[in-house]
Amino acid sequence: MKIHRTIGHVTLNRAHPSYQGARLVLAEPLGTEMVGGLSESEPELIAVWDDLGAGPGSVIAVSDGAEAAQPFRPELKAVDAYCSAILDFVHIDEKVKQRIRW
Amino acid sequence: MQIALVVGHATATVKHPTLEGQKLLVAQPLMRDGCSADGPPLLVVDRLGAGIGDQIVITSDGRAVRELFGLENSPIRWTVLGMADRPDWQRTNELSKDE
Amino acid sequence: MFVAKVTGSVVATQKVATMRGHKLLVVEPYRLDQQNRRQLTTTGRTFVAVDTLGAGIGDFVLIVQGSSARFTPETQQLPIDCVVIGIVDSVSVDKHAIYHRTGDSREE
Repeated sequence: MKIHRTIGHVTLNRAHPSYQGARLVLAEPLGTEMVGGLSESEPELIAVWDDLGAGPGSVIAVSDGAEAAQPFRPELKAVDAYCSAILDFVHIDEKVKQRIRW
Repeated sequence: MQIALVVGHATATVKHPTLEGQKLLVAQPLMRDGCSADGPPLLVVDRLGAGIGDQIVITSDGRAVRELFGLENSPIRWTVLGMADRPDWQRTNELSKDE
Repeated sequence: MFVAKVTGSVVATQKVATMRGHKLLVVEPYRLDQQNRRQLTTTGRTFVAVDTLGAGIGDFVLIVQGSSARFTPETQQLPIDCVVIGIVDSVSVDKHAIYHRTGDSREE
């Protein structure tokens, strides 16, 4: 999973039947700046399937790739980003962080 | 698989049921020099007891997670495969620098 | 998934047999404008996506990428890695509605 921050949501006008009632939050990456890297000047915006109820500004764990669709099995669902957890707390060691070169 | 540095950990109350009771590490994948970041940090499930500052081997094989841990329908992708005692790949780099 | 704008379509007379009858759209992923966070802006990238919903040029769509694109009954057997899974109705960021689809948003 990767660390993202939710910033909003998206609704659909017309959708594939498997997306009826989907709750989709918009999120930007947060991990890199958390561990001392520069925040991207042009961060990618992703839409994440959320069954946990992440609110705006939540820090979330996002599963990507085929793993994002695993929770729905055996149902076939085209999901490539899934909110696996709403993080309460992320502890980063300040000293160890300094060992990373960006 | 990749080598990563454990830089922290995360906790969550609201989470997918298969994450219940799992330790979540924040791990930074590294380039071959052993210190440059390779992409963003990852949340990695750990059952080996890796600690902050450890260099670990991680795999993105979500199927392995499901098979190793017996977790069906889990969205977990990254897991700790091992902890490097002394990474040989880093030693090789040091040697090649000396040449 | 990501939000993208439909900017064109691809017509290919010669294509692998399984792709016959499938509409291909050119889409541009959008991101949030960091200077003005009430506005979406193009990333400048483009993808070709299979359309199952009848999206038109000018529409914002939701795109699924990678192996997950095959996780629908319609695309399961297709050699694809990018599919339109929804037509966007609204986008809201920091509690502000920054996009709402209107009848005339289509440029076709």
